[in-house]
Parts: sequence; structure tokens; C-alpha cells
Amino acid sequence: MEEQDIINLWKAQNVKIEQTLAINKQLLKEVVTQKARSAVSTFNRSKGWGIISFVIYLVILGNILAYAIRHYSPGLNYFIVSFAAIILINIKGLSDYIKHLVWVNAINYEGSITDIQEKLTKVQLSVVKHVRVMFLQLPFWTTFYLSSNWFPRDMGWGYLVFQALLTGSFAYAAWWLYTNQTIANLDKRWFRKLIAGSGGASIMQALIVYKEIEEFKQEGVL
Amino acid sequence: MPLTDKPELFLIVLEANKGIIYKVGNLYCREPEDRKDLVQEIILQLWRSFDNYNAQYKHTTWIYRIALNVAISYYRKESRRSAIANPLSEELLSFSVTDMADNAGESISLLYRFIAELKELERALMLLYLDEKSHKEIAEIMGITETNVATKIGRIKKVLKQKFSQVKNQI
Repeated sequence: MEEQDIINLWKAQNVKIEQTLAINKQLLKEVVTQKARSAVSTFNRSKGWGIISFVIYLVILGNILAYAIRHYSPGLNYFIVSFAAIILINIKGLSDYIKHLVWVNAINYEGSITDIQEKLTKVQLSVVKHVRVMFLQLPFWTTFYLSSNWFPRDMGWGYLVFQALLTGSFAYAAWWLYTNQTIANLDKRWFRKLIAGSGGASIMQALIVYKEIEEFKQEGVL
Repeated sequence: MPLTDKPELFLIVLEANKGIIYKVGNLYCREPEDRKDLVQEIILQLWRSFDNYNAQYKHTTWIYRIALNVAISYYRKESRRSAIANPLSEELLSFSVTDMADNAGESISLLYRFIAELKELERALMLLYLDEKSHKEIAEIMGITETNVATKIGRIKKVLKQKFSQVKNQI
């Protein structure tokens, strides 16, 4: 089929569309007067519920920490430091997450395609980069139950080695995940599995589009 | 604009450009249920942006930008049906006479299929080319240079031509 045939075919289709396509005015009125008022979509509501649940979780952790501080004794040092670190890391992770959700929703669609899509994909991909901070709390979950009343003084060598290995391996895993969870590693299988449950498919799609935009903007490249 | 005029003005603009929304929906969503939701999402975004419409651009440029940006971003929704607040049971855009898809003919169905096989941005470019937008307007909508538009359209046309030839040879 020649180029002009394709255009003629498209034009003929356009004429049919214009002649027969009808707007459901009643439904349109409903959409613009009722649904548009609800700026928060179901998608955002579910994210909102996730954030509220997380805040409740942080409040519970915070109350436990506050109780420990109010009833302070040197034996609680490990617990206080560990819980404080866990809470701070979670607050940082949550605030980054909320910030990105706000950014995603604040982007308007009126700009040029490459500009808006680039912004959207960058924001979406940066969620990956910032959520990685959550991994840093891993080693503190292996130290909060220790007490200076009995650790390390009353413990045998076996337990000390076990505790050092446990905390050391969690610290290494946390650091490794923190440094390796980058956009450059998005095409690695382990990374895909790691993010599979947290919007991994759409993040992968964002990466594909991001690469496409990069290529698209280059002169003479298709 | 006076608040009372806004729905009427919006309807006039939408009526004049309904074909664009239909074509974008058709090129980016092959599943009818998803397509219905995408059309709703595009119209909602147009409505929300209507107050900020920049008269520097044509209505068509504004509509193409929003419709294409919404359509390309649509993949980001993990669950598309649930991504929409209260999915509609009816269609906002429907055919008054008969379903175009059933009545479209083999060639146009093939053309839609071939365009749908292109990458997201190439698909947008092809739609604008087939709708006979100037290179200047395509460049404005896409955010690339006119030279780049010309180069890319030339290559996509070759791809489409090859695909039609392959089908022809198979018959």
C-alpha cells in the first residue's frame, strides 16, 4: 500500500468517525460535575490507606519508644537506639514516598509529550531510588532486643559469634541492597523479583518509556 | 470565562474534537473496557485543564497533548479498571449508527494494528502524521525538533509500508 493510499484510508475513516461518533452528553455532564470533583481516585485512595496504616504503625513504634525513654534504664540502651533508628528510617522512607506521590499527581498533562513523559518516568523511577532507604533498618531489627544488663557480659562465645554474624549479615545485606537498588540495575532479575510486589510492572514500563524518550529525542535515531 | 459557560464551552470544544479522543483511545487500548476507562480519564483531564487552556496553542494541539500524555501514562496504573474512580458502565463516546470497529474494513483494521505495534511515542507521531498535522505542530506536541519529526516519520512510514507488503505477499 502506498503512502497516499494509507492517508486516504485514514481520511475516509475520519469522515466516518465524525459522522457517526456521538458524545453521551448526559454521561459527560455526570463525569464533569460529579466525578471530576473527586480528585482523589481509587488508586490514590488505596495509596492513602497504605500511608495511614503506615503512620499508625509508626505511632505505635513511637509510643513504645517514648515508654522506654520515660522508664529509662541503661539496660534499655540497645532498644532505644535501635527503635529510634528504625523509626527515623521509616519516617524518611515514608516522607519520600508521599513526596513522590504528590509530585506524580501534580504533573499536568498540558506540556509536550516528551517533556511530560520524561518528568513522569523520572519521578516514578526515583521512587525506587528513595524507597531503598527502608533497607537500612534491617540490622536494627537484630539489636533492639539486646540489653546491656546481660549483653555481652553474660553471654557465651557461641551466642556472641551468632549475634555478630546475624547483625553483620543484616548490615551487609542492608548496605548492599541500598547501594545496588538503582535504576541501572532495573533490568537485573533479582531486582525485578524484589520490586514485583510493589508496582514493579509499571516501574519496568516506566523504564522502557524512559529509554524510548532518550532515543526519541536524539536526531536521526528511531 | 463565566462559570456557567464552562460546561457549554467544554462541550463545544469536545464535540469538535471527539474524533481525536476516539482515535487515541483506539490506538492505545485494544481492550474495550480499558478503552472506555481511558476515554473517561482523557475527558476528565481535559475538563480539569480547561480553565488553564493556553490560547497560544490551537485547541487541537491542547487536546492532542493531554490525550496522548494520558494514554501513554495509562500503563502506569497497576490495575487499570480500579485506577479509575467509579468506572463507567456506559461509553462516553459511542457510535450512533453502528460500531465502527465492526464496519471498519480490513485495511483500516490492519493499519490500526500496525500502528498499535509501534512504540508508545512512535504511535503518537504516526497519529499526528496521519491526521495531517504540520511538522511544526507535531514538533510542538511531541517536544522534538521539526527535523527530528521529518526523519522519524519517514522511517515509520517505511516500516508501515513493509508491513502492508508482507501481508499482501502472504495473501
